[in-house]
Amino acid sequence: MSKTVDIHVHHITRVEGHGNIRLRAEDGKVLQCEWQVPEAPRFFEAMVLGRSYEDIQTIVSRICGICSVTHTFAAIKAIEDAMGITVSEQCDKLRMLLHYSEQMESHSLHVGYLVAPDLLGVKSVVPLVASHPEVVKKVIKLHRIGNQWMEAIGGRMTHPVTVKPGGFASLPTEKYLRELKATLTECIPDLKAVAEVVLSLAGKLPAFERPTEYVALVDSPRAYSFYHGGIGTTDSDEIVRPQEFERVANEYVSPQSTAKWCKWHRESYMVGALARFNLNAEQLLPLAAATAKMFGLKKGCCNPYMNNVAQVVELVQVIEHSLQLIDELLTAGIKPELAKSTPREGEGAGAVEAPRGILFHRYAFDKKGNCVKANCCIPTNQNHANIQKDFEALVPQFLGESQDDIRLKMEMLVRAYDPCISCSTHFLNVEFV
Amino acid sequence: MNPIVVIGLGNPLMRDEGVGLFVVRALETRKERFPGTDFIEAGASVLGALHSMAGRTKAVFVDCAFMGEPPGTIRRFSPDEARSIKRLAGFSLHEGDLLNSIQLSRNLGECPREIVIFGIEPDAVKMGEGLSSLLSGRLPQYVAAVEAELMAELHDC
Repeated sequence: MSKTVDIHVHHITRVEGHGNIRLRAEDGKVLQCEWQVPEAPRFFEAMVLGRSYEDIQTIVSRICGICSVTHTFAAIKAIEDAMGITVSEQCDKLRMLLHYSEQMESHSLHVGYLVAPDLLGVKSVVPLVASHPEVVKKVIKLHRIGNQWMEAIGGRMTHPVTVKPGGFASLPTEKYLRELKATLTECIPDLKAVAEVVLSLAGKLPAFERPTEYVALVDSPRAYSFYHGGIGTTDSDEIVRPQEFERVANEYVSPQSTAKWCKWHRESYMVGALARFNLNAEQLLPLAAATAKMFGLKKGCCNPYMNNVAQVVELVQVIEHSLQLIDELLTAGIKPELAKSTPREGEGAGAVEAPRGILFHRYAFDKKGNCVKANCCIPTNQNHANIQKDFEALVPQFLGESQDDIRLKMEMLVRAYDPCISCSTHFLNVEFV
Repeated sequence: MNPIVVIGLGNPLMRDEGVGLFVVRALETRKERFPGTDFIEAGASVLGALHSMAGRTKAVFVDCAFMGEPPGTIRRFSPDEARSIKRLAGFSLHEGDLLNSIQLSRNLGECPREIVIFGIEPDAVKMGEGLSSLLSGRLPQYVAAVEAELMAELHDC
């Protein structure tokens, strides 16, 4: 009996496009299988031209409401690279601490708001409040802690204003750091409870594997890296300096997408939590390592759906490392160091791990410190080709299933990558009742 | 934390999309007139707004809104008077819908008793800084509308 599969998940808003999924198959033969994506926030690059080096990080933080701290830090590292600015150990630790607040916020949101509904068979997190109130409240609590933590150190909810070239415009107090330490210590049992719920549902993640290249920051042997280090890959021992990121990304145009795609040693690569885990698993702190073991997550995992599990492991990792950083900062005492910098002509690049993968920024400045060149390479663009290759491998394996089941597996795959698409507008679109 | 919060949403690099931020910034310069009120620029974090309103008695949102009105129109409504027709792909955390966040807050039992939304119909949602000339010219009118809402609250106390 002939079977036709025709899936078209198509979402275009008034202003921006979301990603589209297109699958057509007849009698077990795939005729079209595409992940189609519109351009992401490249247009922000033009907006920073002519702007002062002191303002760039604040402007680019608006690129995204979820990864705003990471955009801030990719920019600030590139600016400081261009200006030859080095920062103090205290500044470095406080920046890592601020950066972790975003990982905490984003991962808890992704696992709780997007992945959990898939695993529990509902459309969104809203109905889960009634069916699974305790776990939803724990997820909201973790997200809220990340949100307040970001505001306390970054000076504003979501889009930080305290981060400047050379340091901070204002510093958290030791009293606040002691309070944060207590809050983070208290939330570890909540985190364990959320991890156990995800573990109980992890069997519902599709059993699909496709070996690929994984790319992430590597700073071995210092730490499981989100902020420091060079660009590592599972395909070679080479560590590439952030200043050479274009040699990694190799951006190219795909006919099925207006967004640029990337490839390095193979036809695609993956960035994100699973990539960081595959490159840095040995550096996990004890509780995070125990969480990975609990899930059976091992280095070399090539099931993209397990990116969600790697995010749970990273939630534990960022809390553990944050507690260490706070202890170190309190032992040394917070010194009243505020940002100082002098402009100069130059060019620099920065690489930082966003929750959804490695992010690259490059800027060049004239002698007054005004921006003359900008280039941002976001993690989601780096993942597009890998999503396409996953689709091509996934679909034939499950073509015998119902159209709805195939569609769900494809949508879950895209969600597993935690993509950043359609993130520059957030308007209401309503009709009155 | 004050019992009343005014939350501005939007992206200031997408022209009128950021109108909520412009209104809140203007109000914040005269915040001493509104004791018991916090002013928050939530920017692009629609889900973050969930936390900003939790545990308050009243939340006032100011946001760019496609409402089928002439560009520049400001309209005051409650979440129960409107239905979202925004199509979310469901792929990403990066898309947001304020009405969904409010519903989630209600389901969690932490939503303010009163929620007021000031929707402002945009003239231009596209890359660029600053409001369109139409909305820029009407900014004092938008600020006055929210001020009137807050003043009424003071008189009711």
